[in-house]
Amino acid sequence: MATAALPVSTLVRRTFLDARVRTISSACLFALYGYVQPVGFRHTYPTLESRLQFARSFANNKAVVVFYGKAYDILTVGGYSAWRVGGTLAIVAAVLGVVAAVRALRTEEEAGRAELVLAGIIGRGSAFGAALAGVAGGMLVLGLAQTAGLLAGGLPAGGSMYLALSDITVMVVFVGIGALASQLAPTRRTAIEIGIAAVAVSWLLRVAADTSSGVGWLRWATPLGWAEELRPFTGAQPLVLLLPAAATLAMLAAAARIVAVRDVGTGLLAVPDSAEPRLWLLSSPTAQALRRELPSVIAWVLGVGLYGIVMGVVSKSVSSAGISKKLSRELAKLGSGSVLTPSGYLGFAFIFFVMAAALFACSQVAAARHEESDEQLETLLAQPVGRHGWLGGRLLLATAGILAVAATASVFTWLGAASQGESVSLPRMLEAGVNCLPVGLLFLGLGALAYALVPRASTGVAYGLVAVAFLWYLVGTLLGVPKWLVDLTPFQHVGLVPAAPFRPISALLMAAIGAAVALLALWAFGRRDLAGA
Amino acid sequence: MTAVRTEHLSKRYGATLAVDTLDLEVREGEVYGYLGPNGAGKTTTIRLLLGLHRPSGGRAELFGVDAWRDPVEAHRRVAYVAGEPFLWPSLTSAETFEFLARVHGGTDVRYRDELVERFQLDTRKRIRALSKGNRQKVQLVAALATRADLLLLDEPTSGLDPLMEVTFRDCVVEAKKRGQTIFLSSHILSEVEAVCDRVGILRAGKLVDQGTLDELRHLGAQTVEVTFDGPAPRLPALPGVTVESAGASGLRFEVTGGVGPLIAALAGQPVATLSSRTASLEEIFLHHYDHGNGGAPG
Repeated sequence: MATAALPVSTLVRRTFLDARVRTISSACLFALYGYVQPVGFRHTYPTLESRLQFARSFANNKAVVVFYGKAYDILTVGGYSAWRVGGTLAIVAAVLGVVAAVRALRTEEEAGRAELVLAGIIGRGSAFGAALAGVAGGMLVLGLAQTAGLLAGGLPAGGSMYLALSDITVMVVFVGIGALASQLAPTRRTAIEIGIAAVAVSWLLRVAADTSSGVGWLRWATPLGWAEELRPFTGAQPLVLLLPAAATLAMLAAAARIVAVRDVGTGLLAVPDSAEPRLWLLSSPTAQALRRELPSVIAWVLGVGLYGIVMGVVSKSVSSAGISKKLSRELAKLGSGSVLTPSGYLGFAFIFFVMAAALFACSQVAAARHEESDEQLETLLAQPVGRHGWLGGRLLLATAGILAVAATASVFTWLGAASQGESVSLPRMLEAGVNCLPVGLLFLGLGALAYALVPRASTGVAYGLVAVAFLWYLVGTLLGVPKWLVDLTPFQHVGLVPAAPFRPISALLMAAIGAAVALLALWAFGRRDLAGA
Repeated sequence: MTAVRTEHLSKRYGATLAVDTLDLEVREGEVYGYLGPNGAGKTTTIRLLLGLHRPSGGRAELFGVDAWRDPVEAHRRVAYVAGEPFLWPSLTSAETFEFLARVHGGTDVRYRDELVERFQLDTRKRIRALSKGNRQKVQLVAALATRADLLLLDEPTSGLDPLMEVTFRDCVVEAKKRGQTIFLSSHILSEVEAVCDRVGILRAGKLVDQGTLDELRHLGAQTVEVTFDGPAPRLPALPGVTVESAGASGLRFEVTGGVGPLIAALAGQPVATLSSRTASLEEIFLHHYDHGNGGAPG
């Protein structure tokens, strides 16, 4: 028996195990993504000549840099992998860092569990340190998984470890940001919002540094830039590690200082406990759900709008000079379509909005589940309120939200492009936005079905489906598997307007499947027991 | 008309039989106490009554409407107080009242204001900032203010201070006077004893006893305490009576059945004082559970 274990180490283990599902699924993502890059590159660009041509045309294309960050050397497998991993996976690592820290610190406090721990023989400082140690354990797993993926892809051991390290440093810094946000915000939700806003700012700084001349120094102001400056496989600069280390230590020290002086259960940003009643949007369960989800819908719209403007602005700088037909086709295999014209580029950019719409649908499934697991639904359904009305209302709300996301993406991308004098018509961009609907509806329906059938696992299943489908869309074509296997992902059936014509039949089919599955979900939800936490 | 009726109602969760062929009947205007220790199946019964969980067997009706098949219709005349006061953390009490009133389809606003006063609630406070007891009060006020024909209350006084508990009992008595039916699940025996007309005792999902308090008392022994002028006499053994000494000149009798034979035996003795009391609900309750230890339920 482990009865002799120190209290603090018990807490470390608890934090680590609480995150196990998130750790394992992220580890799979990191390993797979690491594996696919070197393998896909070798497969698509076997010769030096093809790589040279690729480098000249594609990687120095500013619009592409927005997605993948600055490339230092993409003639080698290692350099290419570092570019793709450092640019994309680093953003995922940043988000994971925020979530991990907030879950381990603020969520525990909000749920009242921290109080229970602190009533024992563990001090505040030790509890804070133990939570972070548990998070660090999770980061170690992610680093090892990524290293393993890169090694399996045929990269050398030392370089693989260093590349994985550069990625994990981003997560480390954002754990620091999440820890600090957890001291400022009194609720999990606000802490996550602060952290995600920090990720967005870091990304924008990197975009500016990588794409605008004269402000390259901005790269030194963002953790995502530090990861680039570590330069894995392209002339490593390990001294840069001092920057994330110093930044993280400073933030953790500040957070620890706040932990020592504030009341347990509160944040530095006070929220008033009392308020005059505001009686709008209380007339029905659906209206009240809208009232609660409104801040999060606004956050989604702002995020999508910002991304749309950036995409629109950089689309102007895309050029196809000196690209052969053959290479264009090869590039298309990267899952990027023909990204060498402004409209092609915008088409490619829109697949990310389609993914955002699908993720938004998942967030609404999660919100519905949350209302049930917190047992508010029990109070609600004890009233003369029907189950079908309640879930149907939530699904309608989610659909309206998907529409809002789609419209925002269209209008803001158009605004960005138009501001640069790019000749893309608004109706054409709205047509591109329409693509968000069928895929969003499909994943909403599938998420709702998961909610009806396996309520406790539904949030994970919904997000997991989108993640797997999108990853498969990005890498499936690279691996040379049969077409029908690649076609399993819904993202493959999106006509990427304005690069390609809209595909009405696929769209209708996906929307119809989504609606049918949602109806099935309504039926199944009417037949099951309510399920608490 | 019956407000609550179950017929052979059962609920199984995996290997656990939470409610076992339950036959309940609560008449309109009655205050029914539903007693049982933690885990006996009280909350499960209420969830079945509300159609929130699906019966594995049998059926549950509120005012003659099947709760699983037509929950919305069944809930029209019902207000519910959940065992755990989970509400919407970001709403204030006033907003919660407004929302629940609209969802219920109306409430008595004047009575609600009166209840807010009596339960001493600050309605500007957000639910997030309220203690458990205060959140419980929010639920209670919202439910009572609807003046619903049937109040389903699941351990409604958990977390309330003794003063508020008195207020709650007053409200129950008033509701009864108005003709409302109350189904009160509880393990606080004094509360049930104070307000309930009839009581059902649940053990391991089965109803082991049911009736008015007087009817239930037939099970518990009556205690008769007698003191004598001088030393306590020796009495002949009587059927259904056990004796123990209480001091030098006193005896305590536990009597099941009638007290006639005991009175007859005492007739010629120098009795100084005699007091008798019937079994408390607590004794009845413990009687059922003590006898149940180790044995098969029911």
